[in-house]
Amino acid sequence: MSRIPALLVTHADLGAALLRAAEQIYGPVDGVEVLSNSGLSRADLEREIAARVARWPEGGLVLTDFPGGSCQQGGLLAARDRPEVVVVSGINLPALLDYLHNREQYPCGELAERLKAKAQDSVRVQRARPA
Amino acid sequence: MSWRNQRVDDRLIHGQVVVAWGAALRLARLVVADDRSAANGWERELLASAAPDMRVTVLTVSEAAAAWDEEQRAPGAAMLIVRDLRAARAVVEGGAAVPSFTLGGLHYAPGKTKVNEYVYLDEADREDARTLLRRGVTLEVQDVPATRPQPLALLDRAVGP
Repeated sequence: MSRIPALLVTHADLGAALLRAAEQIYGPVDGVEVLSNSGLSRADLEREIAARVARWPEGGLVLTDFPGGSCQQGGLLAARDRPEVVVVSGINLPALLDYLHNREQYPCGELAERLKAKAQDSVRVQRARPA
Repeated sequence: MSWRNQRVDDRLIHGQVVVAWGAALRLARLVVADDRSAANGWERELLASAAPDMRVTVLTVSEAAAAWDEEQRAPGAAMLIVRDLRAARAVVEGGAAVPSFTLGGLHYAPGKTKVNEYVYLDEADREDARTLLRRGVTLEVQDVPATRPQPLALLDRAVGP
């Protein structure tokens, strides 16, 4: 199976920071693009994302930080006529690492669902036991 | 009165609006006045999905102007959102007695010059701003509630009298 490409679209420098953090755990990463929404209007963000996903003839994943935010909406606007491009919001470090380990193992839609489950499962509330 | 804020923001509904302003003003309703979004059912749904805990209404600019008084009497704190100063001016010239607009995000585009980090204007924007000011509409610049609102005419001398 071919590799599913990904674009990280986030507020400020979160995408670049997430990728740097992932590289500390995974190792050097290629094939993941990063785009910040800083300074971009709704229309410009849509245009910037559309230009990148246009290079994915077989589709890919737009990974965004915040459901309902400009990045997620920009991704959905850019992918409106591209059902093979899937937008996943609420991306976190465990989900990004899961993407890197599995981007050649699953088709795009299945991988997106897997990342959603991974991100949700990684949020845990725990307390240490008293000594 | 139900209107709590009228915002000029080229991102329309997004994180600052839903999370920061939504909490600060206890917003129950968002009214987007945007001809492009109003013309497309899918874009209306997309905007509504961005604020699942609020009632989102997407109208054309002229519809929003006509609905201003009725929405003012409706229950629940509300925010009006327009994409640019041209739409803000059109809402007012359409008959809505809007007392003020908050410029929350007008990002860079070719031909626009910087007012601050998140507001860029060109001459057409400035003419719309002057028209609104002449009509007695207050124009302030503020992206999130935690920052201090500043009069546009103080930040941008070209808009001032």
